[in-house]
Amino acid sequence: MKHRSTLSTLSLLAILVVLVVGCAVPATPQAPTTPAAEAAPVETPTEAPKQAESKLVMAIAEDTVSLDPGRAFETLPSIIHKATYDTLVTFPADSVDRIEPLLAESWTISEDGTVYTFTLRDGPKFANGDPVTAEDVVFSFNRMKHITGNPSFLAETIASVEAPDEKTVVLRLKHPDPAILAKLVFSAFAVLNKDEVVAHGGTDAEDAATADKAEEWLNSHSAGSGPYMLEKWERGVETVLVRNPNYWGKAPAIDRIIIRNIPEAATQKIQLEAGDIDIAMDLTADQVPALKNNPAVTVFEGLSDTIVFLIMNQDPAIGGPLSDPRVQMAVRLALDYEGIRVLSSGRAVTPASVIPVGFFAAYGPEKALKRDLDRAKGLLAEAGYPDGIDVELEYPDFTFGGVNFGTMAQKVQADLAEAGIRVTLKPAELQVALENYRQGREAFGLWLWLPDYRDSLDYVEFLPGGVVGKRANWTDENADQVILTLRDQVKVETNDQRRAELFAQIQDYLQQKGPFAPFLQPGIQVGLSSAVRGFVYNPQWRVDLALLSK
Amino acid sequence: MALYRYVLRRLMLTIPLLIGVTLIAFVISHAVPADPVTANLGQKAMSDPVIVAAFRAEWGLDRPVHEQYLIYLRNLLRGDLGRSIKSRRPVMDDLRAYLPATIELATASILVGVLTGVTFGVLSAVRRNSVLDHIVRMLSLFGVSVPVFWLALVVLFVFYSRLRWFPGPGRLDVGLPAPPQITGLLTIDALLAQDWTALRNAIGHLLLPAFVLGSYVTGLITRVTRSAMLEVLNQDYIRTARAKGLHDRVVLTRHALRNALIPVITVIGFSYGNLLAGTVLTENIFAWPGIGQYAYRASTSLDFPAIMGVSLLIALIFIVTNLVADLLYFILDPRLRSS
Repeated sequence: MKHRSTLSTLSLLAILVVLVVGCAVPATPQAPTTPAAEAAPVETPTEAPKQAESKLVMAIAEDTVSLDPGRAFETLPSIIHKATYDTLVTFPADSVDRIEPLLAESWTISEDGTVYTFTLRDGPKFANGDPVTAEDVVFSFNRMKHITGNPSFLAETIASVEAPDEKTVVLRLKHPDPAILAKLVFSAFAVLNKDEVVAHGGTDAEDAATADKAEEWLNSHSAGSGPYMLEKWERGVETVLVRNPNYWGKAPAIDRIIIRNIPEAATQKIQLEAGDIDIAMDLTADQVPALKNNPAVTVFEGLSDTIVFLIMNQDPAIGGPLSDPRVQMAVRLALDYEGIRVLSSGRAVTPASVIPVGFFAAYGPEKALKRDLDRAKGLLAEAGYPDGIDVELEYPDFTFGGVNFGTMAQKVQADLAEAGIRVTLKPAELQVALENYRQGREAFGLWLWLPDYRDSLDYVEFLPGGVVGKRANWTDENADQVILTLRDQVKVETNDQRRAELFAQIQDYLQQKGPFAPFLQPGIQVGLSSAVRGFVYNPQWRVDLALLSK
Repeated sequence: MALYRYVLRRLMLTIPLLIGVTLIAFVISHAVPADPVTANLGQKAMSDPVIVAAFRAEWGLDRPVHEQYLIYLRNLLRGDLGRSIKSRRPVMDDLRAYLPATIELATASILVGVLTGVTFGVLSAVRRNSVLDHIVRMLSLFGVSVPVFWLALVVLFVFYSRLRWFPGPGRLDVGLPAPPQITGLLTIDALLAQDWTALRNAIGHLLLPAFVLGSYVTGLITRVTRSAMLEVLNQDYIRTARAKGLHDRVVLTRHALRNALIPVITVIGFSYGNLLAGTVLTENIFAWPGIGQYAYRASTSLDFPAIMGVSLLIALIFIVTNLVADLLYFILDPRLRSS
């Protein structure tokens, strides 16, 4: 008995030893290793490169749910789809205020603004060599619409898509949609190779929501005409793109792009400094100063298209004093915009309204509201609150793009206190806070908005009856006629000059009235190895990988 | 024979335990005042009733909660864990994809923890109140109290970024082909494929996160081993053994350590489960594609099937590690066998 137990103990130890030794053995040089591997295992892999293939490594917090262009709605897929697919039209490399041709070389718009006729360019081919035809466009648009995925709402104004001949696409709208071209830039409208997608279970039929089976294939293959092809997507690990040999445009400089999932900004920074990655997509503003002295690293600092704002409920039963337009204005005047901007650091600006700086007809930061505590106090007194008011501020307890909502809420609390608005902070877990906000149950909330598509028209959602407007219970019933008229006009106006005038009036209105106090448009920071050239930031697709070289 | 009956009884108990776990996880995750629709659909998509209805129907969220639970249980009995809302794949596939990375990391951590912990603990007990003892006690206090995310960043910065002694985050160097997947554990797969480059690389990548994750276990095991050894070393049978003229090393390993190991095994048992369940921070910082990251994403997006799957898996791991720990008592403590 005694012996047996000793034996079992020994065998247990032996297993441990074997495991440990098993781990240790290969570290000794007896294993056959290549000379490259002989060097410290720490070195970046110099393992026999196949010729001189150029390679670029990008680190990003992977948020990919699907790489099917008809279903994806996240950040990383938009980067990948920009590289692997083409759309009919596009934006300039670094802005979103103009539409440029891509697969369509030209287009005409009918008098009433409801029929768009696109003429396709000669030459574009899919990665497998098939020509891009109008049929592919029709298939891709219909499939995206009928899948009823996250981006399908972008097609809600589309009545039909037709291909009268190989080079012509006719898009009929239910009613004029001045933002339709900007929507078509979104990768949801990427043009897929119909034959390939159908061969792998895809369909554009009305029942595509259940009948389409191409998603799995599209998660590991691309079927586009872009400069790159998807080689693999290993969930949570990496996405690999390789150069499309059949690309119809100017060939990109980098052969292979490896996109690694590095969730932590701190880790991205450490890897960038170590020289193991070329691009760190998610740096936070406070990491930038420490990188400034590093000659091996450059930092691109730009402006995000995120708007951080306070929302006040128009329904007196929910909003209480905050439903009073004078109190709402007092809140806007009590915020220390300059202090908030400094707190956020980086290239952050104070937006003049809910429309981000850089968008079509958006006011620049110079037109932003300035703090005026005396007027704020005056307005409060006028509204019947000479001793101030007590309110609760609800916000999600999270950090987005380096903006910590807890910190922002505390700053708002301190600023408003100076005007006599005493704020109690009420943080909640994101999903819980989101539910209250989206149901319009918050009296006072701190939130952010990312555009669904890059056109100023997206911001009619803040107006009465819009997605965000409804969260403030701002409706056609309690809004004044001025803003309702402006809203209805801007929704259908297609002439750029008249659109710009309407947006100016809307922005002027929102500075004086309405349940929102937008106060920050944060910056974005991208870390680059000094060897990387050609980095340009675009709010729609973040980075166009085909423009990069090193 | 008693042992088999014991094991059988424990295994039978697993079934009601797991059903209990599903019930609790289901009730808690559905009681959260939040809606998967909000968590998974875009701002615009969720204001479109057609898309919302399609989403609810696709994920069975349009049925009453108790019905959803019964459907879940029925599918579970067939071995079907459902489909993840977030990844749109079977939860089983997801778990299979993410679990090996975590098992590998947790196992490496426990090895680091046990080897260093037991060694330090024994040395510390034998040389009680020496300088060595004080240093070890300080280190173990550090190990159990230092925040993991802080240690992870410091270790990465010093040993990877500055000194370049270890490779960086991830399981393999960028661009290094992984060995053909058999177990999903890169070290084992590399060993099976006799791919020594990948093996060295994978071990290199394992060391830092294993050290960080194992630091707590090291601290804990050092302390438990030390106190258990001290207690045992004062026992009469040790004095007897010494008096018999047995070699010091024999007394320590055969007589003292073996008995001192019993409380240590308990610690190892629950530490392993904790390691598997608690790797979120370490996995995030080391970009380790494991179950921790998956669980985090599942819970922040109210991905019910994934939450249930992870809960079940972790419960199962706790049950198994506890069972193994209990079986080890049988091996180490003859008194249990005779009773």
